[in-house]
Amino acid sequence: MERSPVAFDQNFSGAASDFPTLLRSEGLLAPALVNPVPQAGTPQKTWQPTEATTILAFKFSGGVLVAGDRRATAGNTVVYDRADKVLEIDRHSIMAIAGVPATAWEMARVLEHSFQFFRRTQLQEMSVDGKVRALSKLLRDNFGFVMQGVGVVVPIFATYDPHPKPEARLYFYDAMGAQFEATDYAATGSGSPAVRGILYYENTWGRKPLQELSEDEAVSITLRALDTAAESDTSTGGVDRSGKIYPLIKIVSREGITTLPESKIAALFKETVA
Amino acid sequence: MIEEPYRWVEAIANRREYIEAQLAPGSPIAALGYRDGILFLTLGKTRQKIFEIYDRIAMGAIGHPGDIERLRMAAIELASTEGFSRSATDVSLRRLVHYSLSPVLKTAFEQIYGPPYLARMLFAEVGERPDNDLFLRVDYDGEIATNGATYAQARQDFAVLSGTQQSRELMEASLKTQHAPDASFEAALNSALDAWSIGHMTLQTKDAKELPERAAVTKYRKEQLVNSGIEAALLERDASRAIRYRSLSDKELRSLIND
Repeated sequence: MERSPVAFDQNFSGAASDFPTLLRSEGLLAPALVNPVPQAGTPQKTWQPTEATTILAFKFSGGVLVAGDRRATAGNTVVYDRADKVLEIDRHSIMAIAGVPATAWEMARVLEHSFQFFRRTQLQEMSVDGKVRALSKLLRDNFGFVMQGVGVVVPIFATYDPHPKPEARLYFYDAMGAQFEATDYAATGSGSPAVRGILYYENTWGRKPLQELSEDEAVSITLRALDTAAESDTSTGGVDRSGKIYPLIKIVSREGITTLPESKIAALFKETVA
Repeated sequence: MIEEPYRWVEAIANRREYIEAQLAPGSPIAALGYRDGILFLTLGKTRQKIFEIYDRIAMGAIGHPGDIERLRMAAIELASTEGFSRSATDVSLRRLVHYSLSPVLKTAFEQIYGPPYLARMLFAEVGERPDNDLFLRVDYDGEIATNGATYAQARQDFAVLSGTQQSRELMEASLKTQHAPDASFEAALNSALDAWSIGHMTLQTKDAKELPERAAVTKYRKEQLVNSGIEAALLERDASRAIRYRSLSDKELRSLIND
């Protein structure tokens, strides 16, 4: 039968409740590689993907703070010093990315649309478990590219769960898609060993545990941690004192997401870090 | 049978008659563009009739629930894939309805060995200002009516949907005199309730040619509000948020109703 020039066919059943599946059926998303082949031999150094590094998140008295430095690199080259690695997915969810931005931004876009698509088609909000799992699936589907040496993404996901007990929740992932719920803090990216060290120290022997920090205290620890990471890791931007580039900091709470204004971060930096 | 053209015409006419009869008891839906957005409103006790389609698009529908669901899913899928592959601002209601929905509805309706869609839908897309609001009503045969100015009518800042033509025309007549695009939310809510009442009253009678008396409308509206729940949703004009759709609860509306 001749195909009519319309975008959906007569016997459409509306069965695709999974947005990535729908995108794949339309050729809008790369198919998941079923049998990933590892890169053969020595990695070719002719081309290096752009990568973004060092993100952290921890729970404090006002919810979850998620922060990222602003640097994106390709090998030894700084590609961009104002990269946005802390992405809002919906009114209560943030995904922060370390790894290849091209893949990560695409994932964030798929995720954002998936949640909305679910709400619109199913007439209810996707559960936090569903959201966490959706990101896990995207990472799993992307693993073929990771094995080939491109497209590694190691994200952090922070969200506010109204059910059953209203609380902020924090997850981090590995490149294969395993999800880990963090009780206190998480950090990924090349500068993360330093950040984890600082957060562990603060949480255990600091003046108070991370969960009891006020917003200002949380921000100043964040700035100190990223600055420390940048000290030894060239891929981490930290705080650029001359260019006045500050990390991006967002907070998830019951009320939704707030982005801290740069002026506030700058003031706290001057007062407690510099 | 359909090799003979007149048989085909006859079959189509029968089919039209059948569908019109099926749709006739459908509870009316009114959509009003006002100062801060677009208000969708209907009264009912059973199924949900107003839905979010995309960031700035909503839909109200009457008909068979299975058909409404298929069309709703199709509209959401089309808008979502478009919004994903390009951007949310590239999702256009005009294109969605004219290019995608209408041809499919027409084909289904005219292929007399297959089932038609038993549905009548009203879509709205909120604009930056009331005069950018777009309303499109799509019928089971793919026919489209807009709120835009034509040779026969001036631009309207509202659109309605009902089971019969008579009911729809009287609702429109009521809104033409009662509703203005700079109306407040409260005024729009009350105009919408009046329009719904007029539409619903007309469905109960055979030959209503003229608008009922004001007092009769008020009385009817009061009676209906006792037994029915209000189903309403907003498309907010405020551009600070991408997603403009918000459903309104019966409870938050009751206090704003003039008696």
